[in-house]
Amino acid sequence: MSPKDRTRAQRREAQEPTELSNPVPWPVAVIAVGFILWGFWYYFQNVGYPAMAGDRRSAIVIDPSASFDGSVVYAGNCAACHQGNGKGLAGVFPPLAGSEWVLENEDRLVQILLHGINGEIEVAGVTYQGVMPAFPQLADGELAAVLSFIRSEWGNTATPIATAAVEAGRQRFPDRDGPWQGGAELNEAFPPES
Amino acid sequence: MTLAIAFLLAATFVISVGGLALLIWALANDQFQMGQQAARTIFSSGEIGRVEDPGAAPTARARMQDEREPEQADSDEDAAEFEARARADASTRVPVNWWLASSVFWLVFGSIFGMIASVKLHLPDWLVQDAALTFGRLRPAHLNTVAYGWASMAGVGVGVWLIPRLFKTEMLGGRFATAGAIIWNIGVIIGTVAIVTGHSDGMEWLEFPWQADVALVAGGALATVPLILSLLKRRVQHLYVSSWYLLAALVWFPMLFITANIPNLFGGVEQAMLNWWYAHNVLGLWLTPLALAAAYYFIPKVVGAPIYSYGLSLIGFWALALFYSQVGLHHLIGGPVPTWAVTISIVHSVMMCIPVLAVAVNHHMTVARHWRLLIYSPTLRFVTAGAVMYTLASVQGSMESLRAVNTVTHFTHYTVAHAHLGVYGFYSFIMFGAIYFIMPRVTGREWPNHRAISVHFWLVIVGFAVYFIPLSIGGWLQGLTMLDAAKPFMESVLVTKPYLLARSVGGGLMTLGHLVFATHFLMALSGQGAIRAQATRFRMRRAEVAS
Repeated sequence: MSPKDRTRAQRREAQEPTELSNPVPWPVAVIAVGFILWGFWYYFQNVGYPAMAGDRRSAIVIDPSASFDGSVVYAGNCAACHQGNGKGLAGVFPPLAGSEWVLENEDRLVQILLHGINGEIEVAGVTYQGVMPAFPQLADGELAAVLSFIRSEWGNTATPIATAAVEAGRQRFPDRDGPWQGGAELNEAFPPES
Repeated sequence: MTLAIAFLLAATFVISVGGLALLIWALANDQFQMGQQAARTIFSSGEIGRVEDPGAAPTARARMQDEREPEQADSDEDAAEFEARARADASTRVPVNWWLASSVFWLVFGSIFGMIASVKLHLPDWLVQDAALTFGRLRPAHLNTVAYGWASMAGVGVGVWLIPRLFKTEMLGGRFATAGAIIWNIGVIIGTVAIVTGHSDGMEWLEFPWQADVALVAGGALATVPLILSLLKRRVQHLYVSSWYLLAALVWFPMLFITANIPNLFGGVEQAMLNWWYAHNVLGLWLTPLALAAAYYFIPKVVGAPIYSYGLSLIGFWALALFYSQVGLHHLIGGPVPTWAVTISIVHSVMMCIPVLAVAVNHHMTVARHWRLLIYSPTLRFVTAGAVMYTLASVQGSMESLRAVNTVTHFTHYTVAHAHLGVYGFYSFIMFGAIYFIMPRVTGREWPNHRAISVHFWLVIVGFAVYFIPLSIGGWLQGLTMLDAAKPFMESVLVTKPYLLARSVGGGLMTLGHLVFATHFLMALSGQGAIRAQATRFRMRRAEVAS
């Protein structure tokens, strides 16, 4: 193959690319400055949204004097595990219906909701190994309403829990960090009456 | 956010934009002794004004572009230049073949995954016998094979070919790039098998498990070796704009990919922020610069005219570098991410209009004066179509980042259509064009069949229109229906059905186009093309085809 043949594809090309020194067209510059001014302005358009909430979200403000429907709080926070019928899921999530933890010591019950449980716990004669999340983010009134609800549903007949009891419960273990370690630790803190 | 935060963000923004403007001014006005004067040194004497690729016999050339001056005889310097180009192309033959052939293989594979996933959206009971065939696995398999198999491998292949051309030297260490292709392929195979068998990492764009990630990092690092070796041996003073994009992409990608794949770096909302920081940057700081490097090379190369403005090139590159890395969080608008973080991403997304406008003026002004070449040149037609869709996809993306628009389009098929306008309409079209230019130069043979190129072009462009337009409309309607509290959710699903059907038809045409392209590519690779002076063009006279 002659050199001309070997380089035929390369021969028919134009020069290697280069650039002219044309100035940036003025409309491009004007548009760019317009965009930059918009960006500057837009930052100030977002003043006033709470720093710790999500994008342009406001934190929910709860009126402490408002009354709450315990069944609604239950459906939103509890029913996924303990089920709508309060019976839980066999072997996985313990029942609330007929549970000694629900019916007996009301201060202990408040503490379970405020801190959660992590570990072994015996409920109605069956041992469960699991995790219950804490719900300190709910308002005192909401917690009182849902606790009163579970103590009076599905055949449970225990006394309602007052908002004041939840309020007091929040002050009771100020140094506590993390969930109760199973039923054993709860029994230690609240010795069963015998 | 408080006024103080807004003030600090706005001040930081204005200061960095001001710094950038100063940098661009300094570069454009030779303040660093590297400006336009140096730019002219890359001309070989006698080159300016030579007629264009795709090469044609003198008569055909005259038809393609009659206004240009008559052909000049070769000077000695010209002959040396041709020889140097041929040596440069020969030095990249093996690695380029590896990277490009692999990319075409993954293109076909990825299209089939995409097709099945698309059909499943309107025929949900089809292929559900096995978990490996379900939507939740095939869709990520589609995404990863086209992103890391097709797009990345094609981009690296084109980059490897461009390196000696841009640096006017033969490629040094081409073997490293070949080894890189093999290892990268192993990574994509491991990753795809892992996804299909249910071992995905579970984050979008990061589904490949770490074993595959390691292979991609190693393969990519090997492909960078010849880039650096050739850069050190370069015979040009001024780095042409394509080199900036190429060098930047090969530096940015490993930084993004490694950071995003560090296990357990963040959890929860922060993990989602990292995820989208990566997923959007992989488009803007990896695929976009690869395709722009190619477009900046092939447009002036084929039309035979310089790029319109060096100043615009500088704005396009540096503004991309400044603005792009913050845009990802616009995927979390309205989510649990602080307002100030999302606001930065929105401002930066909108600012992307500036580099896009600069690049658009540069590209389109260069092509507009020679538009008749679009009739003949496959490379120019594909690359120009891609450059036009870059402008459209970018402006659309900036619009979608506005909260008012995002409220409708987020979580709908509109976003899917937009993603395809970017990675397919823009990126893949430019890669097709580049491959049409490169293959004859590395194989020494012309493309075997000019009609196959036409069929490929029309199938993919018509297919893409049928894909994109209905899906955008359907996605928008879906978004409006979801926002209407009076309508049940199911209605927002049903409203998309005819549009999803159209998407499958469009996707089918595109896949068919890819099969034609892949077959043609295999024919070219196996030496079935003719050896003749003229390039294979969209329109050829019978005598040319026969010769």
